[in-house]
Amino acid sequence: MRSESSKQKLRLIWLQGVTCNGNTHSFLNLSYLPQLLSRYEIVYHPSLPSSSTQDKIYTLKEACDVFVFEGAYDPLMRRCDVLLSDLLEHYGTQADFIISAGSCASFGGMFKASAPERNSGLIFDGTEQIGPLRPIYEKVINLSGCPIHPEWLGYTLSMIADGHKIQTDELHRPLELYSDLAHHGCTRNEYFEWKVDSKQFGVKEGCLYYAQGCRGPMTHASCNHILWNEVSSKTRSGSPCFGCTEPDFPRRDLFVTKTNMSIPADVPLGISKRAYLTMAGVAKTFKIKRLEGRLIDD
Amino acid sequence: MTRELIDQIEGEASIFFDMKEEKVDFATIAFPHFRGMESILEGKPAMDALVITPRVCGICGHAHLMASARALEAAYADANEAVTLTPKAEAIRELTLILEMIQNHFKWIYLVIMPELARLTGSEAPLTPLKGAFAASLATKALAGFAGQWPHSSYMLPGGVTCDITHLERIKAEGHIDELISFFEKESLGTTLDEFLTFESCRDFNAYDSDISRIESGLIQANMHQIGFASDQFIVLGDHAFTHPAKVLKTRQYPVHEKHVSTVASYSPSQKSYARNAQYKGKYFETGPFSRAMSTNVPLIKNMHRRFKDSAYSRVMARVFETGILLERAKEMVGSLTLSDDSLIVPRDIRKISGKGVGIVEAPRGPLIHRVEMREGIIMDYEIITPTQWNIGSSIKEDPTPAQLAMMGKNTSKQEALFIFRTFDVCSVCTTH
Repeated sequence: MRSESSKQKLRLIWLQGVTCNGNTHSFLNLSYLPQLLSRYEIVYHPSLPSSSTQDKIYTLKEACDVFVFEGAYDPLMRRCDVLLSDLLEHYGTQADFIISAGSCASFGGMFKASAPERNSGLIFDGTEQIGPLRPIYEKVINLSGCPIHPEWLGYTLSMIADGHKIQTDELHRPLELYSDLAHHGCTRNEYFEWKVDSKQFGVKEGCLYYAQGCRGPMTHASCNHILWNEVSSKTRSGSPCFGCTEPDFPRRDLFVTKTNMSIPADVPLGISKRAYLTMAGVAKTFKIKRLEGRLIDD
Repeated sequence: MTRELIDQIEGEASIFFDMKEEKVDFATIAFPHFRGMESILEGKPAMDALVITPRVCGICGHAHLMASARALEAAYADANEAVTLTPKAEAIRELTLILEMIQNHFKWIYLVIMPELARLTGSEAPLTPLKGAFAASLATKALAGFAGQWPHSSYMLPGGVTCDITHLERIKAEGHIDELISFFEKESLGTTLDEFLTFESCRDFNAYDSDISRIESGLIQANMHQIGFASDQFIVLGDHAFTHPAKVLKTRQYPVHEKHVSTVASYSPSQKSYARNAQYKGKYFETGPFSRAMSTNVPLIKNMHRRFKDSAYSRVMARVFETGILLERAKEMVGSLTLSDDSLIVPRDIRKISGKGVGIVEAPRGPLIHRVEMREGIIMDYEIITPTQWNIGSSIKEDPTPAQLAMMGKNTSKQEALFIFRTFDVCSVCTTH
């Protein structure tokens, strides 16, 4: 029997395809997890206490308002003996909202490579709309990222619970989370502005876009605005952005910037190559002593 | 034969029980999912392994990152281009590895063991799973201060780490660790961490009314001190400040070398399993916190082992106690980091490197081995052997693996066996990477 208070709660089911469980574990980092969970009845989740049972879930006897799916879709895969396609059809059809948690469920991601000819995300295979839930694509919210950022899921579940409409981009990602680039808020921005590259890994000085493979200026992600674990980000800790929220993740040669005639092959999003080269050329003519050496001398 | 489908672990597993008079006569274990991580790595630039292998596992990906970094460094050495790390880089790596273990153990205590133990003993005390999530999030906050994020950081590279932290970040991380220790003392222990670490006997738990004491008494109530025995053979392969490599047979220690580690196909007649069993010189060994406590002679766990052998009780208590040991270690390390060293000593361009290397670390559940072979910086071959392949292999009745042996017994019911299975802290996603 559901209690009086749980009657008003939205019902949530979380299932998994081809995955590492990274999205589940990332979500558990959410600082307001208890408050958020108090607004939901967790019908089924891979690691949180659930009101339903494995048996009921996999005999397709349950229902939910919000259906979260983590991992890539593989048409041959069974979870507890049930084909993913049957799980997706049942829970996808009856839910009001479907959330693809992470890049695998959004685009195929890392585990598209497990079986490239079969695996995909729920709607998209990369950017192609050939996934199993394309007939009900309007219900699907993609929260790409490898893994998902806990606050991106926290935002989405809160918005749904509040009854707010979530505006999305053409890849079904919430605009409030994915209109930023990973570059926004990067602590190395001054170096980017004046085209000073990082001489090597392991130093806080310099921009990682010119040689170290950073995808920050081309990647829709609010990692440097909504910090990871509330404290940092890849670029703040000296690692390049690998573009893990985009449909082409994982790319190849992730620690190296592909260049043509020593100019990055991919220029910042929305900027024409010509505009970029002109601006970069001008910026580079200035020698800025402050940005040449270490910020703090030993 | 009856089948139990286990999910709500890290992934999914099936256990097939042969029962005799309602007791477990034999059990085989199948892991049905496979992602082909090793073949994904073949043909990739070697550095990409540092991004790909953490994605083997959402809960211990950081251990995979460190094993990868060490494997690449060993390949440099194999090519006569030895890579040296500064003490700072070594210490930061070790600290973040420990912090990942701590988050793992908290989740296991509060999200797995306490609910399962309550079910077994019929306890109706309210459960507090979110305590585990909160404690884990404090550990990962401290970790992310160095690694940028958790899960799935790639901040270790051959030659060191990418972060160039100042005392500002160090002090902040120390604050998170202090907060976590306070939480552990108040919410889990009912006493101070210092006091807890002086425990030498089961009786020491009796003085407190706390989560940890309730686990200890619950295990006794559930008879876990008299069942769940494996073969009393332990192995540790990672070399760290908090443990050291050793093979422990009952209580005697012997030296070990990774070259004797191999894998064999698992025996799973009832369902296709993608798992391979890990062995040392053709024999099965238990790995993880219990093994580490045996190799480092932790008095409390040695004492429990003396009284209750390698029962499910001792196994659970070893992981619980290791949480305290690692917290103390993390606190010491974060306080004594010297930041003046370089974070990274840039090695030769990896595209010039051809060679073989092995990286070994202790992950939350035991030794994690990465073996790489590269030619001019491209991965030709990659092999990953994970701790759960040791603990939860599936073999024939005459030569059972630790988990099989622990579940079998003329005093062990199926419900008890299912609990015992979880005392190994099952990671299915790692097992069939």
